[in-house]
Amino acid sequence: MPLVPAAEDSLPAEVRLRDLRANDVPVSIVARVVTAERREIVRKSDGGRRPVLSGLLSDGTASVRFTWWDPPSDPIERGEVLRAVNVQVREFQGRVELTFNWKSRVAPAGDADLPKVNPEDIPLRPLAELRSGDDWFRVVARIVRVAPKTVSVGEERRLLHEGVIADSSGAVAFTAWSDFGLSPGEAIDVSGGYARAFRGRPQLVLDERSTVRRVPGEGLPSAESATRGLSRRISDIEATGGGELLELRGVIVALLPPSGLVHRCPECRRAVRQGLCRVHGTVQPEPDLRARLVVDDGTGTLTVNAGRPETERLWGRTLEQCLQTMRENPDPTLLEEQLFEAVFGRRIVVRGRGSADDFGVTVYPESIEVEAMDPVARARSIAGALGGSPG
Amino acid sequence: MSGRETAWRVLAQEFGASIEEEKAVGERAASYLLSPLGARMNRVLVSGVLSPGEAVGRDPENPFYRAKLTDPTGTVSVTAGGFNPRALAVLRSVTIPTPAIVVGKVHLFRGRDGTAYSSVRAESIRAASPEEVRGHLADAVEQTAERIRLLAELSNDPLQSSASAGGFPQLWVKSAREAKRRYPTVDIGTFRTPLREALRTISGELPLTAPIGPALTPAPAEAGAPAPSVRITRLAPPPPPPTATAAERAEESALLDVIDQLAEKSADGYAALNEVVRAAARTGVTSDRVEELLGRLEESGAVEEPVVGRLRRA
Repeated sequence: MPLVPAAEDSLPAEVRLRDLRANDVPVSIVARVVTAERREIVRKSDGGRRPVLSGLLSDGTASVRFTWWDPPSDPIERGEVLRAVNVQVREFQGRVELTFNWKSRVAPAGDADLPKVNPEDIPLRPLAELRSGDDWFRVVARIVRVAPKTVSVGEERRLLHEGVIADSSGAVAFTAWSDFGLSPGEAIDVSGGYARAFRGRPQLVLDERSTVRRVPGEGLPSAESATRGLSRRISDIEATGGGELLELRGVIVALLPPSGLVHRCPECRRAVRQGLCRVHGTVQPEPDLRARLVVDDGTGTLTVNAGRPETERLWGRTLEQCLQTMRENPDPTLLEEQLFEAVFGRRIVVRGRGSADDFGVTVYPESIEVEAMDPVARARSIAGALGGSPG
Repeated sequence: MSGRETAWRVLAQEFGASIEEEKAVGERAASYLLSPLGARMNRVLVSGVLSPGEAVGRDPENPFYRAKLTDPTGTVSVTAGGFNPRALAVLRSVTIPTPAIVVGKVHLFRGRDGTAYSSVRAESIRAASPEEVRGHLADAVEQTAERIRLLAELSNDPLQSSASAGGFPQLWVKSAREAKRRYPTVDIGTFRTPLREALRTISGELPLTAPIGPALTPAPAEAGAPAPSVRITRLAPPPPPPTATAAERAEESALLDVIDQLAEKSADGYAALNEVVRAAARTGVTSDRVEELLGRLEESGAVEEPVVGRLRRA
């Protein structure tokens, strides 16, 4: 009987998740469990049940989905570091996945076993070039704003920090699932995050795997200047599908329904129809003002969803005055008509965030200001621009 | 993105000179009017002084109004019908020349002789302060100047890729190329010069121009029928007397004969107004008198003038 080398001797080399390639060669990895969910797969042929644990693994170089057939009954916790030997690498829908089967052997490991990643090796990416699904990038940016928020994930309540960061190329929203102690105005160098689509825009997600370092932040815009950006053409905003910290100038050319006086559910603020809320049933509706403004600058057009304070300011009428009008003349279309008369053709400056869907870009404003027409100054500046070209 | 059509900022001169269409293909596809300067218009925002609206068409169930909007470079025909009750109400209520802004859909009518007449089917009209109108005119002048600059850049460097056509919206670059192809002989200079004049209006040095002459005679045509070309203007006749004597009726029928004869000979089936005046002059009828008679005939519906200056028996 020929000598067969022991299985241990032929251990495949440890591979960084970033370097995984889908082929038939089993690999060995060390990675942290990011998410893990236990399920049972029912075989169609005989109804047999087979337990499976699936989720996301990360080693700091990349995040990869994994499927573990017949996992041990001991709970596998999020954050645990595992060493897995003889793991199958497959490709599913263009992305690499790992499969742990009966041939695989899995053992606990420590943080020290994770591959060493030098943040400087990770390519630096301008925020404007982030695309949903990206990972393995580093960004250096200024925190424009950040605020804590509590959300429900399944049955669990979790605290996260949401905000906006900006560099000279642009701004993106971020969500930090771990508390990095971020505060507005700080310049940070972030690696180990990933970008995902949120409201049609890439958003930076930071969690336990991410590294945040404070940096001096030379060359980055200040938090104030980032929020007072230069106005962008609407065609440009349409091309990028919205964005954070937008500023745009345009003329109100139309109103979309519902605009004017609306009634909302006191619980969820949804619009109430015939005294019925879609979720809460019969409710005592609360009156509110809103305006869906179609804003156009001659290069493009988008919708600005104005809430009550902005609508009152643009219209020059308060909710109470509108309710009074309704008592005198209970025709809601009259109010909409009057609102339209008040806003049509006005030039406004809008700041806020925007997202795109099939109907175009919608902007959720932080501020709307009416801009004076000032034709004399405009004539002077245009004359200056015309001066360059031979008349 | 299947978004809403942008309201292009154009001046009357560029709008009136636009005759090239991009016809819709497929379901609910939009049509566009391409200007010589590369504005690809489905919707426009125009501003100026609005003349009193005139009823077009005789069907009281289907009201259709037309008015002229004059800016420093010319006149745009603005219409509104029952589908836009809000805009229609404004056209009805304007009784004296009024500064106004208009947002509407572009409409192009091609006469039987192939002449193109563009007009704006108003979606929204609002009377505005002269200051506001001047502000909107500033936008139009600025964006017209930008289109001219883009065309000049494309001419200097025809191979310039759309990416490098510095800072212009992509659609503008595409439309400018198309405009150069479809209007190969246009002299851009004729559009550049009026911009300086327009700036004098915007700065307040010149007043906002009132529409040239009094309002047009109502032309009894079907709703949706041609609007007048912005390039043809004429003085409207004085209001017709309430009743016609037998002698006047004779004059009218003589004039109708003249119109019939001329219409028969003409290529598009319409008699030209100036030829009618000339032919009538030979029988001793003054041009003022012709205007007066025509006004009455049009009022009564005997003659229609779907396009200004083109007449035929209704």
